[in-house]
Amino acid sequence: MARSYLFIPANEPRMLQNAYVFDADAIILDLEDSVAIEEKHEARHLAKNFLQSHPRGSAQTYVRINAQKDWLEKDLILLKDTKFDGIVLPKLTLEMWALYERKAKALAFDKPVIGIVETPDAFFELDQLASKKKILGLILGGEDLVSSLQSERTLEGRELIYGRSMLKMACAKHEILAIDTPWTTLDIAHLQKDLQHSLTHGFDGKCAIHPNQVPSINETLSPTKARINFALRVMKQFEATKSMRFSLDGQMIDKPVLERAKATLEKAKFYGLLKEELHGHL
Amino acid sequence: MDIYEDLESLLDALPLKDGLRISFHHHLRDGDGVINPVLFALKKRGVKDIHLYASSIFPNYKAVQDLIESGHIKNITTNYLNGPVAKYISEHGLKGTLKMQSHGGRARAFKEKENTVDIAFIAAPAINRDGAISGCEGKNAFGSIGYACEDAAYATLKVAITDNLMPIKYPQIKKGLINHLLHVDSIGDVTRMASGTLMITKDPVGLKIARTTMAFLDTVKAIKNDVSFQSGAGGTSLSITKMFNDYLKAHHLQASFYSGGITKLHVDALENGLVRDLYDVQCFDLIAVKSLMKNTHHHFMSANDYANPNTPGRIIRNLDIVILGASEIDLNFNVNVTTDSNNRLIGGSGGHSDTAEDAKLTIIVSPLIRARTVLIKDRVNTCTTKGMYVDVLVTERGIAINPRRKDLLKAVEGSTLDVLSIEKLQKKAYTLTGVPSHSDHKKTPIGMVEDRHGHVQDTLYKKE
Amino acid sequence: MTNPVITGSLESSDCLITLYESEPQVIEVDTVVHDAFHAHILTLIKDVLKSHAVDHMSVRVQDKGALDYAIKARLIAAIERYKDDSNG
Repeated sequence: MARSYLFIPANEPRMLQNAYVFDADAIILDLEDSVAIEEKHEARHLAKNFLQSHPRGSAQTYVRINAQKDWLEKDLILLKDTKFDGIVLPKLTLEMWALYERKAKALAFDKPVIGIVETPDAFFELDQLASKKKILGLILGGEDLVSSLQSERTLEGRELIYGRSMLKMACAKHEILAIDTPWTTLDIAHLQKDLQHSLTHGFDGKCAIHPNQVPSINETLSPTKARINFALRVMKQFEATKSMRFSLDGQMIDKPVLERAKATLEKAKFYGLLKEELHGHL
Repeated sequence: MDIYEDLESLLDALPLKDGLRISFHHHLRDGDGVINPVLFALKKRGVKDIHLYASSIFPNYKAVQDLIESGHIKNITTNYLNGPVAKYISEHGLKGTLKMQSHGGRARAFKEKENTVDIAFIAAPAINRDGAISGCEGKNAFGSIGYACEDAAYATLKVAITDNLMPIKYPQIKKGLINHLLHVDSIGDVTRMASGTLMITKDPVGLKIARTTMAFLDTVKAIKNDVSFQSGAGGTSLSITKMFNDYLKAHHLQASFYSGGITKLHVDALENGLVRDLYDVQCFDLIAVKSLMKNTHHHFMSANDYANPNTPGRIIRNLDIVILGASEIDLNFNVNVTTDSNNRLIGGSGGHSDTAEDAKLTIIVSPLIRARTVLIKDRVNTCTTKGMYVDVLVTERGIAINPRRKDLLKAVEGSTLDVLSIEKLQKKAYTLTGVPSHSDHKKTPIGMVEDRHGHVQDTLYKKE
Repeated sequence: MTNPVITGSLESSDCLITLYESEPQVIEVDTVVHDAFHAHILTLIKDVLKSHAVDHMSVRVQDKGALDYAIKARLIAAIERYKDDSNG
């Protein structure tokens, strides 16, 4: 249910220990692209020791490991007995998945995976990838994808319409999380424009490459106050009448609307937007 | 008023003697071109045991360090100091004593003849032949000359130093006070006044603290029509000012006044109708300077009118909200902005203890942990502002409210704010850093902190 | 005799660790939080060396306020690199 996934380079202690300060719903400690090759050895140890000692509050914690097979193996070996919520696996394709599964099995490494879909190959394998039991979500790797297409990232986002749609389609079919590509400049107004595309395509969450992006992401991908208030009133009415079918504000409220209201309130509670406890069951 | 064209002729005419008490204001900040030449000239003439009453001491006031080292300056009374001079005094002390006052306390002490100054040297951007001074006119106009007013009113002899002898339109210091005028080519470089520290922070931790502060103000419903507001010039404080402006706009509110040091952000608010009046004791950038000159609701004020605790009509008496920083805070909410945890001088009250006492809501904003150093101490190293005047601490990892403020504690009940006791917030930090050991150092006193009412509040010690 | 292994950096909240062979053993900790944590960091270093069976090695730490996990990580990474270099 995370709205924001904040990337933190694992080779920077100052950033690691501030990871949980920015109210991101999920943190991704990065051992891959934001860490220079000569620093990967130390980054691994920093990630491990950090995860073993640092309190985390309510945020989810993931680690993006390397795609290169020797580094990937070293990453898994070192993180084997450490507690965290899952792996982020870059350059996901069926081939990469097979490699990962082999290595993970050999190490009895059993964590859920969020895959990053960043190449055209992967797009033709989306349905199969999204069907994998251990894969709990897919991130759109927009930057890499768009350069493979010899195109450019724009505010208008037309270059990603198909990519976003396809990814979300596969995630919706298999009921897994769809996470949108980050906006890679620090211009917040531009980020907010890009977030509209995330909303349009129904993404559950979005990556952040800088802590200053988190508030906009959390706000845009949260249910609005209006929706929360409506959901509260729907649930109140439901509890009062105990009926699964009633009218509110001239709108017909039936099971799907009730379910959406309940889901909205669950999200609102999870995001700390709701002070009261959730009452009632469907 | 006698007019001199060179420093040496002026000094020939002044009654210089050992133990001379002189004052300077700091409005040109790092662009000051007056204090160094005057001090070096006094040293050359062998004037010893000088008592320097500088309202603040900035890094480029190199003469100050030079004369301390040579023993020509014996005592210093100031409100703020940082840079190499502060480092030197921390490590070596003075021949005499360092006394730290607040801006309001300095004004009071001048008025009540506790700060007795023989010669006040006043850098004047523009002065006319009657001795009326404007801070807004002339090629090095720095805006408000608030910190020189009490010097001009109460020092025995008043020397103005100007690079513009001309008719003036907006006097801030009235005619008839100045005894001698030194006419020079340049009093400094006003473009170095806003020495690059005046940017809204991009630091994510600072921004988080700013957002949390706004969420707190919103939750306790502190921002209403006619609210009055002041904040410092640090990066996080400026972010808060910007967010405060945005909040007023979004909620269709108008503040009554902003006070203190004025920046472009404050002027923006004024020019967009978000605040009715600005009360300006010092300008922090050139936009503020221009605004003081042209906007009728941008008012100059002297340090006395700003913050003298014995002036009933002082502006900050009506201040609702003030946002301040801290180097340390302790479990009793006492705040230190004078030294760091190692006795190094890093600043001073400035207007900190004045506004904290007078404002209805005093909020301290600071990171909780910086390079394994925890903000919250059992006891502050130096007490600049007493805990009884401090209401709220906002950090990136939680908010602490002074138990005296039961109204605020009630107002945050049931909110989504992360409020914890200051003890718990300290413990939270220790969970990450480990519990620090304490060493007791031998303590050599080098001076004192005087509160705005004139009482010694704390002692300053040498850095061992 | 292998070359000294250096890990970490002098950035705020980090530490620079130099691990080297030297008789007798020398452990130096130069830290910005001397009063608060010098003794603690010294003990931490010794414990890590011992638990990795290299408690004869010398270490120089230049610390800019790194938390324990970072000091440990930098030191363990250095020890592993040293072991790799010695065997490789």
